[in-house]
Amino acid sequence: MKSFKRGTLLSALVMAVGISATPSWAADEPIRLGAIHILSGSAANYGKFARQGIDLAIDEINDSGGVMGRDLELVIEDSQGKASTAIQAARKLVYQDQVSGLLGLDSSGVAQGLVPIMPELKKPLIITHAATPDATGSLCNAYTYRISNNVAQNMNALASVAAETGAKRWTTIGPDYAFGHQSWEYFGNALKKINPDVELLKDTAFPRFGAEDFTPFINGVMAAKPDGVLISVWGGDLVNFVRQANNLGFFEKDMQIIFTVGAATEVLSALGEQMPEGVWLSTRYWYKAFDNEQNKHFVAAYKDRYGVPPSYNAEGAYAAVYAYKKAIEKAGSADDGDKIAAALDGMSLDAPNGTITFRKGDHQALVGPNVGRAGAMDEEDGIRDLEDLRLFDGEKISRSVAETGCKL
Amino acid sequence: MKNAILMAVFVVVLAGLVLLPWFTPYFYIFIATEILIMGLFAASFNLIFGYTGMLSFGHAAFFGIGSYATAMLLLHLQWPLVYCLIASVVFGALLALVIGFLSVRLNEVYFAMLTLAFGMMVFSIAHQWRSVTNGSDGIAGFTVGEFGLGLPLTLGNPAVYYHVVLVIVVLASALLYLIGRSSFGMILQAIRQNAERVSFCGLNVRAYRLAAFTIGGGFAGLAGGLMAPFLRVASPEMLHWSTSAEPVLMSILGGTGYFLGPFVGSAIFILLETWITSITHAWMLVLGIVLALMVMFFRRGVLGTFLDWWQERQR
Repeated sequence: MKSFKRGTLLSALVMAVGISATPSWAADEPIRLGAIHILSGSAANYGKFARQGIDLAIDEINDSGGVMGRDLELVIEDSQGKASTAIQAARKLVYQDQVSGLLGLDSSGVAQGLVPIMPELKKPLIITHAATPDATGSLCNAYTYRISNNVAQNMNALASVAAETGAKRWTTIGPDYAFGHQSWEYFGNALKKINPDVELLKDTAFPRFGAEDFTPFINGVMAAKPDGVLISVWGGDLVNFVRQANNLGFFEKDMQIIFTVGAATEVLSALGEQMPEGVWLSTRYWYKAFDNEQNKHFVAAYKDRYGVPPSYNAEGAYAAVYAYKKAIEKAGSADDGDKIAAALDGMSLDAPNGTITFRKGDHQALVGPNVGRAGAMDEEDGIRDLEDLRLFDGEKISRSVAETGCKL
Repeated sequence: MKNAILMAVFVVVLAGLVLLPWFTPYFYIFIATEILIMGLFAASFNLIFGYTGMLSFGHAAFFGIGSYATAMLLLHLQWPLVYCLIASVVFGALLALVIGFLSVRLNEVYFAMLTLAFGMMVFSIAHQWRSVTNGSDGIAGFTVGEFGLGLPLTLGNPAVYYHVVLVIVVLASALLYLIGRSSFGMILQAIRQNAERVSFCGLNVRAYRLAAFTIGGGFAGLAGGLMAPFLRVASPEMLHWSTSAEPVLMSILGGTGYFLGPFVGSAIFILLETWITSITHAWMLVLGIVLALMVMFFRRGVLGTFLDWWQERQR
């Protein structure tokens, strides 16, 4: 009796182990990709646009035969902008949904938490938005890639714009987490390198991410009387910020204003004419900046399907899906995370913002931001246009691999 | 007979927990780890609430400081985990001693408000002292090395970490249970029922309440210390009042009258959260409805109501 019981328990165990050990993929099952974006709170619109970009790419790929004959399928999770939530979501996507790869991340704080555990999950991650240089720098690893530009690239470009304006005394308003602080740090260092005479004020303002009232911070910065202000506030916060700054006369002062991620179409369409003319707006991707076939097709298809122009977040997510298609085909496997990650190393692909390459050595795509001044309204798209548009060569504004501190 | 059946059920559940990694999908190991840690957190809270009758809204402060202690020791000094956990217990208990010293003199809503205020003070420090706590990003990027005590454990493996958590939580809970059963624990329960009478017996009620608060803080610190290597981040949200509310909800869900109530509450809370959030993002709405119904119709919690009904039927 006793031994019989033990026997059944053992065989049940063996069966259970056996079941969980067999790969659950049949050849005709879809290949899943797992996305982690902010889907709630003040930046939820960014997650919405990213999802639209992913849906568009997946439908295009599935309509033209899929990946290795299999359909692509999306599983998306809300990071809520918190590292712990995103890590839990990543574990669910990898172990429960058995995705082939992860993409997304909207927050530098989330990236700093999730990137170090990618080697445990053994699946590739393509960051499409989060910009902390650490993700492809001091925290880099074999599984982490970034298709969007990072703070270091963006600030190198913006420092050259800032130097051109002739403004000498600079300060910043940015969200009180990694992104805001690192934007200021990298901007200051890059600007000092071009022009050692500039003064970086101690009167900086770092409101909490998701803060509703920016009035004290705006007043504080105006009281410091700077010549130039670097503003790295983003998302719903940026919409609130610009409205409140308008009311306080912030933009009527004689100051150079640079928004580090201001030309996000999510923000521009919410603000409309309230975005003041003449301020510098940077973005990872401006939909009118590229005259290649991919971009023409992407912008037309996106507008046709969603009725609005694509934002940089939509473009990054769209391109990342195509990067996975190429990498999975190159690796010849949708299950082996090591092979897919290795296939991404040094891989190039044609994206809407040109031919991009994940650099060997730090896995950062060498891409530059698009920077311009806020111009007249584009009546068709309902947002301000960018004038005096500049494109930056990714090769020139990226740190060298040695400078990133990444050792792969 | 009744006790024998309960004991048997308990042993089967425990055996099931030990064997879990061999028969569930990988994902549920993470869920189980979280349930155990949050269960310990809620049980440490229940020593203060269910036993001593003090409703604290600042319990996350001790959980959070335990979490930061382990995360920062792992990041800066790479201590073996077991020593980090001991430090977490010490920090949790010390902070509870200080906050408790200032709070236990007050009763009911005043006590609740004071603990809430102190809890949010600790949160603000963690959130704003960027040079030490890394502000709202929290402490991340640490690696979990060896366990210590010469045990060759690969803590990076989720199944191994789950077993480590299981052993520590079971040992800590056994200790907590014995504390509740001891004459000290009896006095705590007497304080809940009638503090004046205990005081008339010549006992220093305030000292007992402070002792309960400090012990609860130490165990919460341990739970926090286990959480940091699991989540791979110690963030200010762990100190926020909404985290303080979780053990309150879990204790009420499971039942404050039984020692295992908070663990049952933790399991229900986290499983519901996992299942409902995969259907809708409005999980808090569902939780609110469940809680309202619980408080209206099952004041003794899921475990409490079941055991009461079962014992009634046996009689």
